[in-house]
Amino acid sequence: MRLFTSVLTPLFCLVASAAAASDYHEQLVLKPLPQNSVLASFDFKSNTSVAQFEAHNFRYFPRSLAQILQHAGTRELHLRFSLGRWDAETWGARPWHGTKEGSTGVELWAWLEAGSDEEADQKWLTLTNALSGLFCASLNFIDSTRTIRPVMSFRPEGDHPNTTMTNMHLLHGVLPREVVCTENLTPFLKLLPCKGKAGISSLLDGHKLFDASWQSMAIDVRPVCPAGGECVLEIEQTIDMVLDIERSKRPRDNPIPRPPPGHELKCNTSKPYNSHDTCFPTDSLSAQEWTISQVFGKSMKGTCPLTDPAVPPVCIQAPHSRDVFTSAGVTELKVKENERCYLAPAEDDFELVLPHMPHEGENAKSDADEYVKPETPLLYAERSFTGHGQQRGGVQTIFTNPSPDTEVEFVYLESLPWFMRIYLHTLQARISHRTGSDKGETLAPEGDVIQEIYYRPFLDRERGTQLEVRMRIPPASTVFMTYDFEKSILRYTEYPPDANRGFDVAGAVITITTLTPNGKTSSLRTTGLLLNLPTPDFSMPYNVIIFTSTAIALAFGGLYNILVRRFVGQDEGPEVSLVRLKGKIRAAVSRLQSKTKKPGPPGMAAEVAGGKEKEAAKIE
Amino acid sequence: MPRLLSGALLARRDPRLLKIPPYLSLLLIIVGVAWLFMLPLDDYSRRTYISENALLPGQVHTYFGGSDQNVFRAYKHEITALENSTNAEANDKLESIFKGLGLKVGRQNYTYHSSGNTYAGENIYAILHAPRGDATEAIVLVAAWRNVKDEFNRNGLALALALTRYFKRWSLWSKDIIVVVPPESRAGTQAWADAYHDAHDSAKVASLPVKSGALQGAVAIDYPQEGRFEGVHVVYDGINGQLPNLDLINTFVNIASGQMGMGSAIQEMWKHTDRYNDRLKTMLRGMVNQGLGHAAGPHSSFIPYHVDAITVQPIGNGWQDEMALGRTIEGTFRSLNNLLEHLHQSFFFYLLMHKERFVSIGTYLPSAMLVAANFTIMAIHLWIQSGQRSKVATAGETDGKDGKDGADRQEQEAPSTDAVERDLYLPLGLVAGSQFLGFIPLFVFNHAPAGILTVLFYAFTAFSLLIPHVISPLLISNFKPTAQQYKLLSSFSLLLLGMFLSALATLNFSLAFLVGLLAVPLSFAYPVRNVLLKYAYALLLTLLSPGTVVSIAAAASGVGLDVVLREAAFGWTVWGMYTPLVVWCVWWPAWLVGVVVVLGRVQEDRNKEKSS
Repeated sequence: MRLFTSVLTPLFCLVASAAAASDYHEQLVLKPLPQNSVLASFDFKSNTSVAQFEAHNFRYFPRSLAQILQHAGTRELHLRFSLGRWDAETWGARPWHGTKEGSTGVELWAWLEAGSDEEADQKWLTLTNALSGLFCASLNFIDSTRTIRPVMSFRPEGDHPNTTMTNMHLLHGVLPREVVCTENLTPFLKLLPCKGKAGISSLLDGHKLFDASWQSMAIDVRPVCPAGGECVLEIEQTIDMVLDIERSKRPRDNPIPRPPPGHELKCNTSKPYNSHDTCFPTDSLSAQEWTISQVFGKSMKGTCPLTDPAVPPVCIQAPHSRDVFTSAGVTELKVKENERCYLAPAEDDFELVLPHMPHEGENAKSDADEYVKPETPLLYAERSFTGHGQQRGGVQTIFTNPSPDTEVEFVYLESLPWFMRIYLHTLQARISHRTGSDKGETLAPEGDVIQEIYYRPFLDRERGTQLEVRMRIPPASTVFMTYDFEKSILRYTEYPPDANRGFDVAGAVITITTLTPNGKTSSLRTTGLLLNLPTPDFSMPYNVIIFTSTAIALAFGGLYNILVRRFVGQDEGPEVSLVRLKGKIRAAVSRLQSKTKKPGPPGMAAEVAGGKEKEAAKIE
Repeated sequence: MPRLLSGALLARRDPRLLKIPPYLSLLLIIVGVAWLFMLPLDDYSRRTYISENALLPGQVHTYFGGSDQNVFRAYKHEITALENSTNAEANDKLESIFKGLGLKVGRQNYTYHSSGNTYAGENIYAILHAPRGDATEAIVLVAAWRNVKDEFNRNGLALALALTRYFKRWSLWSKDIIVVVPPESRAGTQAWADAYHDAHDSAKVASLPVKSGALQGAVAIDYPQEGRFEGVHVVYDGINGQLPNLDLINTFVNIASGQMGMGSAIQEMWKHTDRYNDRLKTMLRGMVNQGLGHAAGPHSSFIPYHVDAITVQPIGNGWQDEMALGRTIEGTFRSLNNLLEHLHQSFFFYLLMHKERFVSIGTYLPSAMLVAANFTIMAIHLWIQSGQRSKVATAGETDGKDGKDGADRQEQEAPSTDAVERDLYLPLGLVAGSQFLGFIPLFVFNHAPAGILTVLFYAFTAFSLLIPHVISPLLISNFKPTAQQYKLLSSFSLLLLGMFLSALATLNFSLAFLVGLLAVPLSFAYPVRNVLLKYAYALLLTLLSPGTVVSIAAAASGVGLDVVLREAAFGWTVWGMYTPLVVWCVWWPAWLVGVVVVLGRVQEDRNKEKSS
């Protein structure tokens, strides 16, 4: 492999001189978090010049994805697979300022180049169907009811020439119900130049990734035009996950959290009742020892030979007072305060060991030695349903601006299913100040908190509700935004097989337009919701059908007979051939009988039979 | 078919038909009661079964135990130390324990006022986030500081803490687990469940600071007793007689008996032979609990919100320890965790007569419906009779002479005699008036201070026993009501009673049945002429008046009238229990009208006037 690369590298350099040497690089940033968690951010970035891309010369850019993008006229693509929830209270601000995460499930938004809305819809359909096949996700279920065209929330991240900007259509779709799992990871890894065989991508294992407390896989494709250089198409694949150290350290062959033997429990010995059989546990307080191979289940197998050697593959964001031991041959670089990076040997296994940090005894360490204090996010948001019952409901979103002095401005975007019929007139914001003269909760004056609303109402079975609200929250205050909705009754066949579970509603997207300290926009997502719609008893329709059919058959049949049929005497109606035949046979039989029975009066039997027949009413 | 129709038309005119309803009514009552007593038989009840396949009770290994017991003991020491501290201090300590486990903690204040008493406290709850979940669903574990009998729930709370710590280690939870610790078991959970579903009055109950998703089930631990126990008692009655899904009870019973090998009991039947007598006793106890509609445990407040909930209480002296109960609860939580959909497969309306035997609504409902139907039939009967007043006398006479001839003549005369006009104003006014009067005791007993409740109640009972004796003579002297008016009076009153009870039977079967049974003599109330008989009937009705029945029942059960009245007022204001409404606004007005009718005297002169 190495020989192969060394032979090919000059060739590549000739072909793509503008793209410089950094056509592909990868980096893993590990960040210990409070409560014995660790955030692992994998970042894989590769690019190819736009000219090369258009000439079908893809190099590090994955061909399978590139062809789809070309076919569907996609200028910029963002695809997210997420699971779990980010605990902002404990973990602080989100990695990448929330720009690399999506709502639970699958989220996709893209800028398509198209002359008209219809053409954009057509291309969007092509794109979702093709991506669905590529990523083994049900992206093809992003139909018109789940697609919206956000107006205020998203801005193109790449550099687009003004000529194409006018023809670009932004479409956004989300599948909250989609469970992200190993089948999505495998195609994700296949897009990487080293395919999970070498480098940091070899640490990615489905068992650990999907056991994480929170994880997000992201793919971003965008054109980047450096000043004075040739435009390149950049693909950035990131995976962020928060691993619970204790859980991740469990061996795979024994994943059951059995109670540890009594003597292994870490007890608070200061308690008066502490004894061999009574133990007040303290184990969740101090930092545990962990190594890369323990938390990821395997060690890193060398570096990816295609990566830019100048970019260190592994970095750790922890105070310098935190002890970190490395395997042999690893070079440590102190990049900036609270961050260390490690250059790994190309072929040997790479290992990092973070030892136990005792909080007591000699060399006692504090939390500040263990992890960097998490950065306070610009905004906390939490959304939940209010109300109960089958007819109406409400949604309450609580926004908290933790900053004591700066106000925060953001756009709140909700993409709601059509069967959740919202009443826009009930949308209101109450504001509660933590400090100041107007402390307490009040109804916010019109236009004070809510600046602007963009609302595109639902159409039954055609499209969902799109609600975008631009809001501004003053410092140190909390805003409660509420609105009511009505639950509609679906058609019998529109219910999914597990109708009693409820219907998933995607998380709201919050794009914060107030810039972060390092001058970037940030975003966050609320958690999804589970909407309970009125659900019929699915065995009931069958009972009803059976019952009504029987009733109709009995009542209608009898009534119809009485109304429509005419009752006449047998001798009045025309003779039916079968009856005539019967009569003939009977006559023949009676004749035969009269012949055999000489003593009896002739024709008597026939007369009796005929009389009986006359009595019976014949139905015409 | 035409012949059948004409036959029916002929039969309709038969005067004998008019004599059937009272007997039919009586028959319905007898069949209704007999029906209930048939239910415990093997042929009418069914064995319980797990209907929701996803639950898979007892299919998982439970690992709670070992060194977790050391932790449990430590928590028990901590809890015991807090027995005499204030609510806020105790919650401070709990908050530090919960936060140490890495859970999100919320606290909620509530203040209820009922019968002049204030019920205030602070709930504390902790949310264990499902490790890979998305806050869409949650299961609740409740452990109150004090149980419904005001005993200190020492082991229950320690067990809840130890279980929470153990649950935190698992990564398989698909739903959040919420541990709710109210200070007591009656108002605390109600405040919490109300606030969780935003159905609370924010003046009395604070909103919850943190929330999770839709609640899928709740299990409350009530474990004040010390030492080893023999089995568990499952309490399942909800407010207003609503019940949790039968699958939840079955799951717990199945895990307790099948996996853990411990006995389980329901309705305080500690020894159950599973024979007719015990089954009947269990069923009747269940019906009384359901009929009263009060909260039987901390779980009861969840059920009105369609959150299936049970309370489990260890009972007896055996060899099971707290870890066994912990493992049973672990098993139940694992089963609930398996649920893909909200519990909906099994029954919500049932009567349990043994932990593994039940009757479903289709089988038991007819008994209450038959009793309720008797009132409606009598009401219709009286309505028809009231329109044929003169006929009764003439028909009786002619029938005596010659049956066939009389019937024929009746047929010819029927159109002319049927056209008697009904004098509706007096009966309608009286029935409406008595219905409105019913709101007075409802208001008074729900708002009077606790100290004077008993006195008020006795005063009201005496008043309500006397008032018919006042109304009746007044009625007779002022309005001179005719037999027709008495019939209409009865008819309207019974019509309302039948309607209310049959509607109630679908909501709270037991209450409808019990009230229906106690109101049975009202069906046959009429202005008796014989003075002795009249007062005997009036005495029977006096004994079955709502006031006397409540007093006698309170005395017989040994609870005390003051407790019953306080509980009723508390239930009305805090739980939204509608039993007082049924007693005062459905039963009492019907009773009042019934006694007035019995004490009534048909004005002879008017009768003569009409017949001449």
